[in-house]
Amino acid sequence: MLRSPTDWTERSHDLSRLLARAGVGDRAAFATLYERTSSHLLAVVLRINRDRAQAEDILQEVYVNVWRAASSFDAAQSQPLTWLTSIARNRAIDSLRRLQTQPQMRAAAPASEGRDREDDDVYDTVADESPGPLDLLSRAAEARSLAACMEQLSPSQRQSVALAFFQGLSHAEVATQMRQPLGTVKSWVRRSLATLKSCLDAAVRGERASGQ
Amino acid sequence: MPPCAASAQAASDMDYSRKDLADALAAEYVTGTLRGGARRRFESLLPAHSALREATLAWSERLMPLTAALVPVEPSGDVWRRISDRLDRRKSVVAGAWERLSFWRGLTAFASVAAIGLAVLLANPSAVAPPVVVVLAATGAAASGVAGAPIVASISGDGTTLVARPIAPVALRADRSLELWAVPAQGAPRSLGVLPGGSGVVALRGKVLAGADTLAVTIEPAGGSPTGAPTGPIVYAGKFTL
Repeated sequence: MLRSPTDWTERSHDLSRLLARAGVGDRAAFATLYERTSSHLLAVVLRINRDRAQAEDILQEVYVNVWRAASSFDAAQSQPLTWLTSIARNRAIDSLRRLQTQPQMRAAAPASEGRDREDDDVYDTVADESPGPLDLLSRAAEARSLAACMEQLSPSQRQSVALAFFQGLSHAEVATQMRQPLGTVKSWVRRSLATLKSCLDAAVRGERASGQ
Repeated sequence: MPPCAASAQAASDMDYSRKDLADALAAEYVTGTLRGGARRRFESLLPAHSALREATLAWSERLMPLTAALVPVEPSGDVWRRISDRLDRRKSVVAGAWERLSFWRGLTAFASVAAIGLAVLLANPSAVAPPVVVVLAATGAAASGVAGAPIVASISGDGTTLVARPIAPVALRADRSLELWAVPAQGAPRSLGVLPGGSGVVALRGKVLAGADTLAVTIEPAGGSPTGAPTGPIVYAGKFTL
């Protein structure tokens, strides 16, 4: 189980070793790596592509790529979970691009229900019982010293980042979802990231200073 | 030139070593809002632009831990079986391909070469053309601190991947990286990426080898040249023809 960014760092040592072994062709180490990380990566992929069968296909591609690229992993530059999660997210985002070029098969709401078509957007279609992106952001924030950083964002800024990062929505999709002009959403995301960057980097420097 | 090609050209000529621009692009890339052609272009520029790589790594370290809040979802057992099958299948294709390469057969000392070739052929399971092997001899650059044994590079038959491996371990200061360059007969060297410990797998994007007849390795600050051009001494070099 991986529930906090603290584990993120603590688990890195073991995962680095497994990746290094996989990089020289050790299939057993690779299997262990899969056991320890696949449920996290599947969760990451599923946030972006909700189709379970497609998500598992993506996961398969991710690990074949990991096996291939393991020898180029550089523990001095990146934490293994960060590296693995980045690969999974990139694959998932690429799968959305392919999806968009295929005809969409989504049943339209019957007109007799009299529902406003505007309300029946993509987000409602994919909504489920799992925590929403904002919940996730605040949960992640609790686990870190990130809470203070998050407070510097307006609620709209927070939501725009959460939709983009967790759901893998494009600027245009976030704009549709939040019913705001594209330009507004773009500047929310940009400013949120700039705020998070300076705040997080300051927090990291603070941790390092207090740790020494 | 059609307008879209012109703008793509303009974008590729942008100065990606500018830190603020690199940072803004990397932030969008890692957040996931950089899409379509812009996303692919960004990925194709990563190997040659250390400022982009550094910014991307930094943004990944900032944002990826947010995913720790996700509730894990156990994949079905079928996924691992499929992965495992694919790795088995590729391994046998690779074994056959390497046996045909008599050049390597004699070099039994290169046990690790099989692993390198594995990576190349895994990347290109249908490649039929044999890889081009380039031996990069140590130049003996003064006070470089690297070993005298060469680095062997193998360019996949379809020209999309390069794998480098030093014959002897390379001792390098922790704050230095080896960077691999394609050197054309005329014009500036093009970065192919950094080689941790002298070894690495490099994706060869586009026509990065076009017109090049030499591979060279320089010593650069950790993570690669900050300017996009070689700044340190050439410590290995080898000629090749594709």
